[in-house]
Amino acid sequence: MEPIVKMTGIVKQFPNVLALKGVDFSVEKGEVHSLVGENGAGKSTLMNILYGVLQPDLGEIYVRGQKQVIHSVRDAMHLGIGMVHQEFMLAPSMTVVENIILGFEPNRRSVVDYDAAAEKIRALSEEYGLAIRPESRIIDNSVGEAQRVEIIKALYRGAEVLILDEPTAVLTPQETEDLFKVIRSLKEHGKTVIFISHKLQEVLAISDRITVMRDGRVQGTLLASEATKEKIATLMVGREVFLNIKAPEGKRGGVVLDVQGVSARGRRRLSDLKNVSFQVHAGEILGIAGVDGNGQSELVEVLTGLRRVDQGDIFVSGTKITNLPPGEIRERGVSHIPEDRNRSGLCAELTVAENLVATKLKRPPLSKNGVIRGQAVRELASRLVEEYDIRPGDYRIPTRNLSGGNRQKVVVAREVSEDAQLLIAAHPTRGVDIGSIEFIRSILIAQREEGKAILLVSADLEEVLSLSDRIAVMYEGRIVGILPASEANEQVLGLMMAGGEYAKAQGEEEKVVEA
Amino acid sequence: MFRFSDVLTLTLVRATIRMSTPILLAALGVIVTELAAITNVGIEGIMLVSAFMAVAASYWSGSWIVGILAAVAAGVLIAALMALIHLRFKANVLVAGIAVNMFSLAFTRFLLVNWFGVAGSFYSPRISPIPRINLSILAAHPVLDTLFNNYNLMDYLGIVLVFVFHFLIYKTVWGLRLRFTGVHPLAVETAGVNVTVKKLQALLISGVLGGLAGAHLSLGYTTQFIENMTNGRGFIGVAAMYFGGISPITTWLASLFFGFTEGVGARLQNLGFPSQFMLMLPYVATVVAITFSMIRQQRRETDKQPF
Repeated sequence: MEPIVKMTGIVKQFPNVLALKGVDFSVEKGEVHSLVGENGAGKSTLMNILYGVLQPDLGEIYVRGQKQVIHSVRDAMHLGIGMVHQEFMLAPSMTVVENIILGFEPNRRSVVDYDAAAEKIRALSEEYGLAIRPESRIIDNSVGEAQRVEIIKALYRGAEVLILDEPTAVLTPQETEDLFKVIRSLKEHGKTVIFISHKLQEVLAISDRITVMRDGRVQGTLLASEATKEKIATLMVGREVFLNIKAPEGKRGGVVLDVQGVSARGRRRLSDLKNVSFQVHAGEILGIAGVDGNGQSELVEVLTGLRRVDQGDIFVSGTKITNLPPGEIRERGVSHIPEDRNRSGLCAELTVAENLVATKLKRPPLSKNGVIRGQAVRELASRLVEEYDIRPGDYRIPTRNLSGGNRQKVVVAREVSEDAQLLIAAHPTRGVDIGSIEFIRSILIAQREEGKAILLVSADLEEVLSLSDRIAVMYEGRIVGILPASEANEQVLGLMMAGGEYAKAQGEEEKVVEA
Repeated sequence: MFRFSDVLTLTLVRATIRMSTPILLAALGVIVTELAAITNVGIEGIMLVSAFMAVAASYWSGSWIVGILAAVAAGVLIAALMALIHLRFKANVLVAGIAVNMFSLAFTRFLLVNWFGVAGSFYSPRISPIPRINLSILAAHPVLDTLFNNYNLMDYLGIVLVFVFHFLIYKTVWGLRLRFTGVHPLAVETAGVNVTVKKLQALLISGVLGGLAGAHLSLGYTTQFIENMTNGRGFIGVAAMYFGGISPITTWLASLFFGFTEGVGARLQNLGFPSQFMLMLPYVATVVAITFSMIRQQRRETDKQPF
């Protein structure tokens, strides 16, 4: 049978990089086809070409056997190709219905016919089992609901081929299971799904076929039934990888960070911190798990002096740091890898060297009487570039010229070299390549071995599970439980992330086992 | 002696409505642009040039209709100039607006001297004003007559436009897309709608409304052109737009509030209060209103971080 989508010899050149180097990719009608690869492998570029966002420099696209030139998203829609981006294309202040019909409004003489719209949306929602609340505003929706709105939007616009870009990145394991039900229902109705992901377990669970990309090329297409995690990972990276580098149980020392009943206002109501208490010991990694937006960001901001504490106290090695300015908290032995390197971790316009020394400039030997000593800066920068394998190895270039992984290494190098007693690492490996993930994780383990206390916030359960000694789960601004890593697994954490108490989660897991 | 009853009379209601009209028309114009994420402070300049052109056209043609048409045409032209600066050459919209305002002030002064050979102001009995509407049913009753009768045509038009724009913004396809343009342009673009075209439309419509506001100032509210006669009313329109929550009906109420402060100010001056005090009132009100609306907006935003 003719493939529903066939892309041949696709080449795409960006200003500094050849993103796609002659890609062949084809999808059969009615299959769930996963596209996997590291960040920067070219998955999103390839899909944005199919969706009409980007134009290829070379290569051809066939849809249902017909050669097509897709100039715009609107062209893609006419061909029945829809895409749900990682960043939702939804206006928060508008209603679900308004967001779905935008651009394709049913109308009578230009007056929007909201009744007809609601009717059509209800029909789609029932047909595919996508529960939504049509009259609610997007801001009042959960991430999972918003994602369903995006899927309905694509179907409403007549999508036959649906591209889902990393759809599970923002979901709890249970929500992911719901999404998989929807994907299976789409497949039953004859729709074709292209599923972009780097979570290999999920890819294996949902796909019919899997195409692996690396470095702008397709490395191979496998039948899911014949693929294994190891096979895919090896194709993705080009060598064997070891991500679960769990070191032997560390020697736990005294309390370094002591958080006592902290409450603070959050960015939204659900992420207000509510009476949060926990401790982190020397030589220990405490992992904070939770779905993004449940107060983790606020917790980190409170600990680093970026957000006001309304109630409760925070101590570092016995010294109270509650509501001190960020600089003074740093001086008391707290270093911080921020969650968003581009927004708050780095100044992209400054050089690698300037970013590496930014937090140390006040102290000798880097400055004397308020004047920066260039020689000392250069020495430290070149040492850190070498030690942390920051590429390219030139510390005089602006940081914006570095890849995501290398930028993150600049942040990690700066913060770890502070040699602070407490390291707060917020999503330290988010959006970086597998090689850098491996490297950054090994540094965190090494820091633990040196007796540092580490607070690790991550939305990646695999990361939390493989690095932490203990795991605290946050839900709606509260800590719903803290458990030793040895007792945790994805199932238990998933239930807790959805608001379940630890004991209850355990009970439910037993029920699952019994069933 | 000062008595409140001297200030709070039935005619104050009239003054409030009359003084709110230019503010309302300007505010409706900037609502449309604000929804498309353009804060159009250039409305001040649009109004000023329009006011001048209204007087000039009315003077030469002897027809207030031609005056209004000229004012609207001038408003659209100045708005198109803003679109060129902001949409084509990507200048910051506030800078573009301020540039247009400075240009308009100097340009009208230049034309005043060049065309009419006067400086400061221009008045002539040949200028045909916009007529007042006399509804004879109301004339019989003294209170109703004072409150609701004998307004300028533009006063009534402003109120009609409030409801016209409410309908356009909230009920039509055009309005839905306009509202999305401001809050999520990327979603609009991927829905196949050209964002730049929407913004251009919005600016040109604000030119039409600014033109009507200008014509009202020089042919309705008064019958003359005075240098800088807009005197901040465009800015107050922007304030009313924010105060009214970028929505026509509530913005109308905000415009009435600003009209009221102007009316009260004028009365206090007649009672011997220093004129500087009266001149200050609208601006104090503006600062207060903007402060309050910004506080409200900030509160809304802290609750509104979606994901």
